[in-house]
Amino acid sequence: MTTGNAGGSVVCSRPLDAALLADYWLAVLLAPDEEAVELHLLQCDPCGARLREVIALSKSMHRLAREGSLRMIVSDASIQRAKDEGLRVRQYDVPAGGSVQCTVTAGDDLLIARLAANLAGAQRVDLSLCDQQGREQLRLPDIPVHPGSDSVLYQESITFAKAAPDNVMIARLLAFDESGIERLAGEYTFHHMRTMPGPGA
Amino acid sequence: MLVELNDAEIVRQIGTGSSREAEAELFRRMAPRLRLYGLRHLRDEQASDDLTQEVLITTLEALRAGRLREREKLASFMLGICRLTVLGMRRGAQRKERLLEQFGPDLLPASQPSTPQLDHGQLAQCVQNLKERERTVVVMTFYDEQAGADVASFLGISEANVRVIRHRAILQLRQCLGVAS
Repeated sequence: MTTGNAGGSVVCSRPLDAALLADYWLAVLLAPDEEAVELHLLQCDPCGARLREVIALSKSMHRLAREGSLRMIVSDASIQRAKDEGLRVRQYDVPAGGSVQCTVTAGDDLLIARLAANLAGAQRVDLSLCDQQGREQLRLPDIPVHPGSDSVLYQESITFAKAAPDNVMIARLLAFDESGIERLAGEYTFHHMRTMPGPGA
Repeated sequence: MLVELNDAEIVRQIGTGSSREAEAELFRRMAPRLRLYGLRHLRDEQASDDLTQEVLITTLEALRAGRLREREKLASFMLGICRLTVLGMRRGAQRKERLLEQFGPDLLPASQPSTPQLDHGQLAQCVQNLKERERTVVVMTFYDEQAGADVASFLGISEANVRVIRHRAILQLRQCLGVAS
């Protein structure tokens, strides 16, 4: 991996792709590969610029995750990391078939629901988010589920929750077996009560 | 135009001991590259700036003294200095003040390329558009800084698969953000 001109070059004859540079930034390359990348970067400004983009993406992702505005499945380690960083995590643990009174305050940073379910044998799991009448509003298909896990950690957008008026949300975990047959693994009802001032309060 | 010189020619000119311009060009050319090395290994902007200064000055000392015989191997030579310098910095060995006193700050580059700013709202939308597994992988990777093995364990897939998902997600994010080349 070298540039055509090992100098103040602006043209790279063998550009490193962003995924490889991300691996480099994440320190997951083997030593010989890392050395090759570093030697290249010491001779190539276009690839250096691409690495800066990867670094920017990494930093922005970090900021985005801290904001708690992403709807996504998270891990226990992610929640612990957030707590270690000083973020305030509001978490509701709900059994299958259960319901919970919930709210969110200005001081909360992340909003998490631990949805207990028997997911044994599931080849795929979807999370369906429904309104009070049970009509699906959003589906997260094929969510990541640790094999053998007895629960799913769902992060709701705290930005959305802080702005939401009183409402009821029904979440459903839908498990699919090898033949694609769907079964309801758990249903969870959230009675959200708004405690923050603002429109819709 | 010194910018058109290759590294070997820069090394040659510095070795003659008479080209202040070649030295300045070496600093201009290599400083941003060294800073990236520093960011990767030290994860700190100030420490990266310190590393950049120290490596440049150490390199300059060596080139003035003619200690780099294979002129075309400047990058390799500097990579070795980078490694030693990072080791030294990690041991807490700071020669910066002495070196700056000796060489003065005038040779140090005035500005460095900054990290590009991404549109935060656009990134949020792009991340939300990823598939669930891809979103989880990139967040666990970039926020939690979890190793591939940990992510793989959580997802119940292989490390190689995590790598594939991560690569695919990064590509999609770059395309969505309009920075993919």
